[in-house]
Amino acid sequence: MAMSDRDDMSGLEVFFDAARAHAAEPSVALMARIEADAQAVAAQTSAPPRPRRASLSSQLYRLLGGWPAVTGLATAAMAGVWLGISLPEGMLDGANESAYLIDVAPELAFDLAGGNF
Amino acid sequence: MPFDAMAEMSDETLLVLFANGDGAAARALNLRLTPRVMGHAYRLLGNHAEAEDVTQEAMLRLWKIAPEWRQDEAKVTTWLYRVVANLCIDLRRRARGVALESIPEPEDGRATAAEILQDAARAEALQEALDQLPDRQRQAVVLRHIEGLANPEIAEIMEITTEAVESLTARGKRALTAALSGRQEELGYGDER
Repeated sequence: MAMSDRDDMSGLEVFFDAARAHAAEPSVALMARIEADAQAVAAQTSAPPRPRRASLSSQLYRLLGGWPAVTGLATAAMAGVWLGISLPEGMLDGANESAYLIDVAPELAFDLAGGNF
Repeated sequence: MPFDAMAEMSDETLLVLFANGDGAAARALNLRLTPRVMGHAYRLLGNHAEAEDVTQEAMLRLWKIAPEWRQDEAKVTTWLYRVVANLCIDLRRRARGVALESIPEPEDGRATAAEILQDAARAEALQEALDQLPDRQRQAVVLRHIEGLANPEIAEIMEITTEAVESLTARGKRALTAALSGRQEELGYGDER
């Protein structure tokens, strides 16, 4: 730097002092506008969030009775699927066919076999 | 919280209180910060109406950022000086692009200097000289010699090194000295050297 800070300031300091003493001041109207802005922003940020509309699945969930009912339904559904896909071997193994076949009209069967219409 | 109790609180604490819904904290911050913001904006712009617009916008941004403010992050004033400078630079760039011819010539103070206080005339003369400086030089000189900030804080505001701050202020002051040297007698500048 060609000049020292002291040299630079020898004449400028009186101007800087004058500038500090004659600072531009905000008008009353500006202060009021800024205050109003603050209130508007505060009202925006502190407003409670609007309740969101529940989705269809959550409405159905509540309609069914919440988690206890849904758990029961899910268990029953899984049991049904399991019974449907597994072969009923235990029920048939070694059983006599006549034990579970019921002839509701034996006379009709006889008539058919005899060919007597 | 009572308004009087806020006098001792830092700007950062008041901003957090405002974010938590304390209206008195907003009033305290408005009274404390708006005059500083306005003074700084005017020194950077040299236009009262524009300085008011910039001040309102800077304060609005402060209210909006309050919920995200982290107390350990930065000083509120450092943040505000940076926002004000950016807004002023944007405004001056836009004005320069629109109509240079429409900017009025600085008034010749020689005819009126005797009628007004010498101190006010000096402030006005300095403002005219500041208006002629490049944006960054003006900002550095104002922050250092009128706002009275230390170079490290100015470096933080301007996002440059302290060496760059020193260089900007030195060049700015040389330009101011040259601009004001022709008005020594008129402004009583020579009497106090």
